[in-house]
Amino acid sequence: MYNKILCVDDDPITLMLCKKVIEKSDFSKQIDTAHNGEDALKYFDNLKNSLEEDNNIILPQLMFLDLNMPVMGGWEFLDIFSENKYHDFFPELKVIVLSSTIDPRDIEKSKSYSMVIDFLSKPITKEMLYSFSNNTQ
Amino acid sequence: MKSFFYKSIVIYFLTILILALISHYYIVNFISVNDQLFYSLYIFIFLIICSPIALIIIFKTIDKKNNDSITNLKRINKDLYESNERYDIVAKATSDTIWDWDIKTGGFIWNKGIQGVFGYKKEDVGDNLQWWFEKIHPEDSLKMSVKLYSFIEQKTEKWQDYYRFMCADGTYKYVFDRGFLVMDDDRNVIRMIGAIQDITKQKEEEQRLKLLETVITQTKDTVIITETSNTEKEQPKIVFVNPAFSKMTGYKSKEVIGKNATILMNKFSVRNDIKKLAEVIKKKEEFTFEALNKRKNGEQYWVNLTMIPITNKDNQHSHWISIQRDISVEKEREKEREHLISELTQNNKDLKQFSYITSHNLRAPLSNLTGLLNLVEDIPIENQELKEIISGFSKSTHQLNETINDLVNVIIIKDSPSIQKEGIVIKDVFENVFNQLSFLIGVKKPIIKMDLNKDQIVYLNKSYIESILLNLMSNSLRYCDPVRQLKISIASKKVGNETIITFKDNGIGIDLERNKDKVFGLYQRFHDYPDSKGLGLYLVKSQVESMGGTISIDSTVGVGTTFTIIFKNNKDV
Repeated sequence: MYNKILCVDDDPITLMLCKKVIEKSDFSKQIDTAHNGEDALKYFDNLKNSLEEDNNIILPQLMFLDLNMPVMGGWEFLDIFSENKYHDFFPELKVIVLSSTIDPRDIEKSKSYSMVIDFLSKPITKEMLYSFSNNTQ
Repeated sequence: MKSFFYKSIVIYFLTILILALISHYYIVNFISVNDQLFYSLYIFIFLIICSPIALIIIFKTIDKKNNDSITNLKRINKDLYESNERYDIVAKATSDTIWDWDIKTGGFIWNKGIQGVFGYKKEDVGDNLQWWFEKIHPEDSLKMSVKLYSFIEQKTEKWQDYYRFMCADGTYKYVFDRGFLVMDDDRNVIRMIGAIQDITKQKEEEQRLKLLETVITQTKDTVIITETSNTEKEQPKIVFVNPAFSKMTGYKSKEVIGKNATILMNKFSVRNDIKKLAEVIKKKEEFTFEALNKRKNGEQYWVNLTMIPITNKDNQHSHWISIQRDISVEKEREKEREHLISELTQNNKDLKQFSYITSHNLRAPLSNLTGLLNLVEDIPIENQELKEIISGFSKSTHQLNETINDLVNVIIIKDSPSIQKEGIVIKDVFENVFNQLSFLIGVKKPIIKMDLNKDQIVYLNKSYIESILLNLMSNSLRYCDPVRQLKISIASKKVGNETIITFKDNGIGIDLERNKDKVFGLYQRFHDYPDSKGLGLYLVKSQVESMGGTISIDSTVGVGTTFTIIFKNNKDV
């Protein structure tokens, strides 16, 4: 069971669904959300600031990321995140792309980011989370 | 001779008469003969003695004369023979056919040429004027005879004419006939002698050349002939241009003939090819290139230009022939086509993008619905009505989801022209298919006959061929006859470099006459079955074709359906 995970999606219903499914399957103790890439970056900026004050703060270990979002999409977020050394502050963070895209190029592209560990098709289900936990643990 | 004979008789008679008179005179004057009887006897004896002497003298003279005339005749004969021989040889050498026409009698004599050149047998050759005229081509005879008779009337010595003369086999030869008049001292025409020359070959060659010439003069391509320069510095000179040249370039032939060929070259904008062109001209090789050229009025046009080196009899390069075709229209079309292709490619790309976006936008809320329904499943619902509503809601959502997924598959198949292929044993694929359909097979209990080669490997995409066979198999199982036992026979064989897979069942069949064009269409359903979406055969066809194969159907309502799939046994295609 994870301590904290982050779900990024512009669709509030998807976020709600994520929360519910994760809660029901006891996948994580805490679930934070963001509405797009920029929102997620802000979330990590805040965390960075908090880290300087308190070293014991709980950091998200896993992140569910949608690709198509307004303001800043998933790809742009991943680019900025890896370029601006966010990874130095959050070395444990892994990303699962959770999208409804069917474009095969997207799946290929996701493999080029080292922090992306999986590409899942919506909707998120309990079975999905179980098999994921079983595979990682 | 006759006159000589009479002359001799007269001389003999006169000699005898004179001798008789002399003897009479002599007897009367010198011998006195009283007796009448003696007188007669003297005369007789005298005449008998003199007569043979006279005869001998006369015969001697005749003999001498005869001898002279025989030698003369022999000499004349020899001369005549030689002259005749000469005439024959000359006639042979010129292969002329000689004729001799006696105008008074109409008699006609031919030499051997009429047999050799025209193939007539000796006995078939006519000996009159009519025969000659009959053999002249009807189209030529009138014109020819008018000319001939006016010539005879005017008594000019030489006559010549062209006409067609019939051979023994009925074909015509072109001839050139020359004749001379023979006149007596009073300038009356008595004979005409002519020589016929066979000019068929020349005439045919002439016509052939004329025909060839029309190709050059009538063609829409320009033809330019240039003389090769003898020295390096000297530039090739234009010796001929055809009418099309003037039409295309705007230059009259007068303006360019004799001029340097490079004046035309300068108009070309062949920046890239100019080096190669110069090289090829130097090497004297055939060369074709396309260039933008300018007319005299400055208008530009595209040409396809071919340069061909021509050699003379001694195999020395003597001329260049350059043929130019105006390809402006084609170039324009090519441009349009390229433009169209790029436009279509862009449109296609846009559409593909559109389909991805649309499917994404459809899938996003749909996945939410599915996800939410999954959550609802775990919550117990007391209200029966709500339970029914939720169940209907769930069914519809899943149906929508399946349809969207099928469509997504179609898009992916259509979008990937080069799919991954691997060596596949069809039998193995079927085992997989049977596993997936074990429930339906258990229910329908079909008799399945398989004629598959265990070792035969086909290069296909594994998931596609699986999906194809799964679709066909499940169709057979679903649409079986409610009464008859379902029989399915599957066979695969290698024919040449093709693999033919046949899939045959005895199910309810499809009315092909009504649905021929729709069988493999999108969203075509032929039976009112609740779980049919009308997508299976469309997918099958798309998948078969994406692997370079073909599929055909043969079906009879109430008898069964046969699908024939043909794949090429080629790794690369």
